[in-house]
Amino acid sequence: MRTFFILLTRELRSFFYSPVAYVVIALVMIINGFSFRAAVAILERGPQQGSLVSWTFHSQWFWLSYFFIFPLLTMRLFAEERKLGTFETLFTAPVRTWQVVWSKYLASVVLYCLIWIPSLANFFIFESMTAGATEIPHGSLYGIYLLIFVMGLFNLAAGCFASALTSNQIVAAVLSFTISLMHYLLGVFVLYLGNRIPEKFVELVHYIATVEHIRVFTYGLLDSRPIAYYVSLAFFFIVGTHQVLEFRRWRV
Amino acid sequence: MIDVQNLTKSYVGKTAVDGLSFKVEPGEVVGFLGPNGAGKSTTMRILTGFLSPTSGTARVNGFDVFHQSIDARRSLGYMPENAPLYMDMRVKEYLQFRGALKGLGGSLLRKRVGEVMDACALTEVRRKIIANLSKGFRQRVALADALVGKPPLLILDEPTNGLDPNQIRHVRELLLAFKGRQTILLSTHILSQVEQTCDRVLLLHQGKLRADDTPQNLVRKLRAASDLHLEVSGGTGYEEHLAKVTGVRKITAERQEGNWSHFTLRIEARTDIREAIFDLALKNRWQIRELRRELPSLEDVFVELTHV
Repeated sequence: MRTFFILLTRELRSFFYSPVAYVVIALVMIINGFSFRAAVAILERGPQQGSLVSWTFHSQWFWLSYFFIFPLLTMRLFAEERKLGTFETLFTAPVRTWQVVWSKYLASVVLYCLIWIPSLANFFIFESMTAGATEIPHGSLYGIYLLIFVMGLFNLAAGCFASALTSNQIVAAVLSFTISLMHYLLGVFVLYLGNRIPEKFVELVHYIATVEHIRVFTYGLLDSRPIAYYVSLAFFFIVGTHQVLEFRRWRV
Repeated sequence: MIDVQNLTKSYVGKTAVDGLSFKVEPGEVVGFLGPNGAGKSTTMRILTGFLSPTSGTARVNGFDVFHQSIDARRSLGYMPENAPLYMDMRVKEYLQFRGALKGLGGSLLRKRVGEVMDACALTEVRRKIIANLSKGFRQRVALADALVGKPPLLILDEPTNGLDPNQIRHVRELLLAFKGRQTILLSTHILSQVEQTCDRVLLLHQGKLRADDTPQNLVRKLRAASDLHLEVSGGTGYEEHLAKVTGVRKITAERQEGNWSHFTLRIEARTDIREAIFDLALKNRWQIRELRRELPSLEDVFVELTHV
């Protein structure tokens, strides 16, 4: 466990040694400002269905930040070690592969959480500025942040996996982006096919549709199915990462 | 300290290490020689637990490198080729990180990091970011990293690769300082270094062990003949006289400087005819200005055993 924390500390530090962490935090804050403003603008037009929270996370701006965060946070993790050759020094020290995998993954999760915290302030500042004149449904606010967290778990794990596959950070970023995007598209393609597909199939797709998950959680409903879905996907990719790293030690 | 039995590592269509067996006793400094691609790095990577062997076993400090990998890794300090380091860290910080990974902590960690920085002459650059260091310093940081856990065994893959002659000498002096107290397995292409530092040489070629002996024995056992340089004056017909000495294979008259004639004699392997030459000169009342035997170097051994 001690080794794990030593590795985790180094990973977190190295995020802040490079400009990546600061750039991502700043960018996400700006984009969140835009999506929050977009939601306020919609509500200014008159009574609407949906709350400030649901409009914020349905804006185009939100998806913009959603897709670029994961490659940026994870592309470095293993690809850089391979490139520098420190992969060899790391794995010839008395460390276990799971310690390396989980420390890197967890470091990206911690940074991911740090990135989203400032956006939470948007709602509380708005609430206190308007002195309670606007309604912020706290249930849906916590719901959506929980969902963002578990969606992050999955996407970051996929990014970890992509990074473990290559020594080129660009390739890792493209792979990670592709996995995130394909997963998103898998959930929305039924919208464009409309009623040409059977109802049963649409229901099935709703299980994996990120858009649908966001709709449910911004209504303040806590559905355990998406949580289980994302967490198990995350596990799947982390186990995959572990296998990719152990591959060189396979005896065939 | 190291016990390798029948080690084989094959990739698809290629065998990198082929049935390698050798032992390294505690306190020995062993040089790993061989042309590029002979399997030196692969063997080292298997010993450090980075790769797995296809078949055969290897033990480090009594621990199987595959089944007891963590224990085996705890007993060794490894410096890979080209000294890979985290470029974004500072020297002291990096060594503290590596020391902590190797199980050191608290005041012991601080003490060890201080010691290895002293030993490798890194104290003045301890606050510098590794990316800004020269190649020589980086190499020394990597060496300090190998040393920090105070392992009984050091495995160094081309520790002097890319260094200038002064830095090479410094590394050599460092290694000589450890001699007797530390078991070292090092690979290098600088044969003079092997002759000066190593107790034993393992010569690898195409994944197979070609030689396992002391550098001196290797040279002595070599089939190649040695040369004798001779400069004489005060006589005539040297060649006829010299040709009668047993063991002389060939005489070459090199040059003439005034009265002095310079010869190079090719003599049979494992013979020394210097005394016979001296007696001959005494008998014929020649003067001798030079009588020098040139032994084949490890380089000749290397070329002979690995020449395709």
